[in-house]
Amino acid sequence: MKTYILSILLGSSFLFTYGQTKISGRVVDEYQQAIPNANIYLKESYDGTATNEKGEFDFTTSKVAEQTLLVSYLGYETKTIVKDVAKMQHLKIQLKENINSLNAVVISAGTFSSGEKSKTTTLKPLDIVTTAGSLADPIAAFQTMPGTSTVADDGRLFVRGGRAEETQIFIDGIRVFTPYTASVNNAPTRGRYSPFLFKGMTFSTGGYSAEYGQALSGVLLMNTIDEPTNERTDISVMSLGVGVGNTQIWDKSSLTINTSYINLGPYISLYPDRNQWNKPYQSFAGESVYRRHFKKGLWKLYAAFDAASFDITQVDINNFDGMNFKTDAKNGYLNTSYKHKFNKRWSTFYGLSYTLAHTETFINSDKLENRQQAVHVKAKANYKLGSFMGLNFGAETFFQDISESYRETSQNQFDYGFDNSLSSVYGETQFQFSKNFATRTGLRLSYNNLTEKLYFARRLSLAYKVGKQGQLSLAVGNFHQNPAQEVLKFNGNVAPEESKQYIFNYQLNKNGKIFRAEAYYKKYSDLVKYNTDLPEFDSDFNNHGKGYAKGVDLFWRDNKGIKNLDYWFSYSFLDTRRDFRNYPSSLQPNFANKHNASVVTKYWMDAWKSQIGLTYRFASGRTYTDKNTTGFLNKKTKAYNSLNFNWAYLLSPQKIIFFSATNVLGTKNVNGYQYANTADEHGFFERQTIKPTADRFFFVGFFWTLSKKQTDNQLDQL
Amino acid sequence: MKKITIALFLILGMATQAQDQYSQKMGEAFGLWKQNKATESSQLFERIANAEPQKWLPMYYAAQINILTSFGIKDEEFLTEKLNKAQLFLDKAKEISPKNEELLVLQAFWYTVWIAYDGATYGPMYAGKVSKIYKNAYNIAPKNPRVVLAKAEWDMGSARYFNKDITPYCKDIEKAIELFDIFEQKTPFYPSWGKQRAEQVLNQCK
Repeated sequence: MKTYILSILLGSSFLFTYGQTKISGRVVDEYQQAIPNANIYLKESYDGTATNEKGEFDFTTSKVAEQTLLVSYLGYETKTIVKDVAKMQHLKIQLKENINSLNAVVISAGTFSSGEKSKTTTLKPLDIVTTAGSLADPIAAFQTMPGTSTVADDGRLFVRGGRAEETQIFIDGIRVFTPYTASVNNAPTRGRYSPFLFKGMTFSTGGYSAEYGQALSGVLLMNTIDEPTNERTDISVMSLGVGVGNTQIWDKSSLTINTSYINLGPYISLYPDRNQWNKPYQSFAGESVYRRHFKKGLWKLYAAFDAASFDITQVDINNFDGMNFKTDAKNGYLNTSYKHKFNKRWSTFYGLSYTLAHTETFINSDKLENRQQAVHVKAKANYKLGSFMGLNFGAETFFQDISESYRETSQNQFDYGFDNSLSSVYGETQFQFSKNFATRTGLRLSYNNLTEKLYFARRLSLAYKVGKQGQLSLAVGNFHQNPAQEVLKFNGNVAPEESKQYIFNYQLNKNGKIFRAEAYYKKYSDLVKYNTDLPEFDSDFNNHGKGYAKGVDLFWRDNKGIKNLDYWFSYSFLDTRRDFRNYPSSLQPNFANKHNASVVTKYWMDAWKSQIGLTYRFASGRTYTDKNTTGFLNKKTKAYNSLNFNWAYLLSPQKIIFFSATNVLGTKNVNGYQYANTADEHGFFERQTIKPTADRFFFVGFFWTLSKKQTDNQLDQL
Repeated sequence: MKKITIALFLILGMATQAQDQYSQKMGEAFGLWKQNKATESSQLFERIANAEPQKWLPMYYAAQINILTSFGIKDEEFLTEKLNKAQLFLDKAKEISPKNEELLVLQAFWYTVWIAYDGATYGPMYAGKVSKIYKNAYNIAPKNPRVVLAKAEWDMGSARYFNKDITPYCKDIEKAIELFDIFEQKTPFYPSWGKQRAEQVLNQCK
């Protein structure tokens, strides 16, 4: 018996100390180079070691039979080998480099994003508000990006020779139908949405994903914040009005509300402009986002309302008393979405938006009333297979109902409008073949109610990494969009317009410096033409219009080279011609300029706790029709120049004083010319210069944040 | 009977051997760290974590080394890799030990590395999160000296930036030092760092 026990004891200790198997091998990378210091161990045991200089390792284990060997090294995917330990000798282990957001090539043709951490990020969220001249309007900030045209009297986004309507704006993936506020003729409009509620924005000047349709030129994607970090109250007192904002956070949900009241009256009385204001511009706007987190989902409800009104008399060459405009505009927008993540691979999204807009304008004594309702419903699913493959597909429907009535002094009233519904499905696959090569192919199929036909849009993007920091991207695709409201109001018998885009992009990212160069060619077909000055009841419409836009966009940004200085430079060359609307032939449209350049600088002065920003913008002249010579769009205005300045001073962590001035040099810019309808006795048409409403504009504001955390402030909203 | 006793003895022996191996390896890893062999040390902590999937401490230290050695790295790609790795350990540790103030402090450090790397970008993104995490940690363990120290130091940094009075935070640091003196390690190898740091920070108050 004793010997038996002894033998067990001995046997077991033999097992513990002598039953050892040696595991050995070598660890290399994809190029057969040794990886020293790789960590190697058997799962759930202490047996393991690290590789030596030559990538070699060996260690012993008392484990037997099949085991899991793990090999890990920083920057590489952890490798798992399941094998009988007896066979784990002279292993040759090859590790694959991690594909991550920093080393992998990304599809970047056409895209500028303002995000938190992405490599394609060219603008940070804060940049939107600290860009001098933008006055906290994201739209204005994106106008300092290449690929946009400066149309100073309009204010909307004009992308690569396209009309403003060719660029669509989306909030959380859902379309915004009326993104711009009501504005006075000849004064730039603003985006309705304050940057405060958004965490990231992507601005694409072409070649965008098949997920987005009904845009011939560009898309601007804005995503609301998922989770605010602090409860806070923001109070702003500005030369133009007041604003109050509040954020409440509960266990699983949060609510942010932002309201503002703007009245131009006091400013105008101090600093009159070229208009005669009978009732100065005033607006009330409110926005709110409610978010609720579920175990695997996130529900968001975004609602915005604004009302604006003004009464103004503007000089008019054909009207001795001037033109009187009295506008009352109300706009409501509701957007709700739910994102659900089933597991690591599958996620889904459902969204819905509703727009209700009503605008009443008196033009002298004529009355124009416009009502608009629009709905966008969308569902999409996303499948991800590691970093290698992504599949994205979805379906959406748009409804739009617009009715307008025009009542002349003579009591003649005209009622017109249209209903529109459009449904699309799309699918897109993304492959990341290696960290050097990625592709995205998409297909979009739309059923159009105007023509009762199906339209196919194909999109392809490729990205290839050159060197450690550079990459080449290519995008081609075709895009469809229904004709503009102004046409559809009078005639539903037209077909969608089409653009084909070819984009070639090179991008270099190096230690806080970004260089981008992009060349593109865009071909338009099926553009709507008509035979009257403006679309009317009795115009003849057809889809025989065509055009092209080609050009080069350059962008350079450096925020590391000089301490505390951040600057960027963008330049766009655009060559575009169109034969559309009432054009007699292919001409450069009046919303396109050949050269556009912006220099934006921001300097942080630590000693003064101040950020000083300067933005300079240049745009070559735009075309106009000189009635005293023959031809159409036959002349060009002089170039546009503007130097803008802003200064944010941190009085204390939670109090900021902000000052901003546009066109500080007071350059006399010209937006165009208005000609008399009839010639004088010499057969000469008088004209008047269309000037900005004011050469300069000043803004002063005081922003105060109240929160438990003493360092929050509104710098990110200015 | 004897057989059973011996079998029991053997099993117990195996268990204590495993326990000893944990202590021994942890000691070895701390030794490597003291010799400034951070990589080797973190690798050993990683292997210990692998062998002891129910213990959060080896993961805590594996994460901590990666985080502390990330301060001052200029190469964004390398920094991302290191911090991603640290985050993996932190996530696993949090699974084993949720609502652990020591892990929260480490998570706050993780964000602080990013803010230190590029304040203009990561300050607005993460500063709020860091404050929130410290607040949580303080709610869980108001008597943990590391929580008191890290929170005070963070608040002090922003106060100093705006030329605000830092005295209230100096008092917190003094409180932290007192807490360090009475703090009892709950288990072997429980985090014990911080007193020296607290004394250094307190010196800046004078």
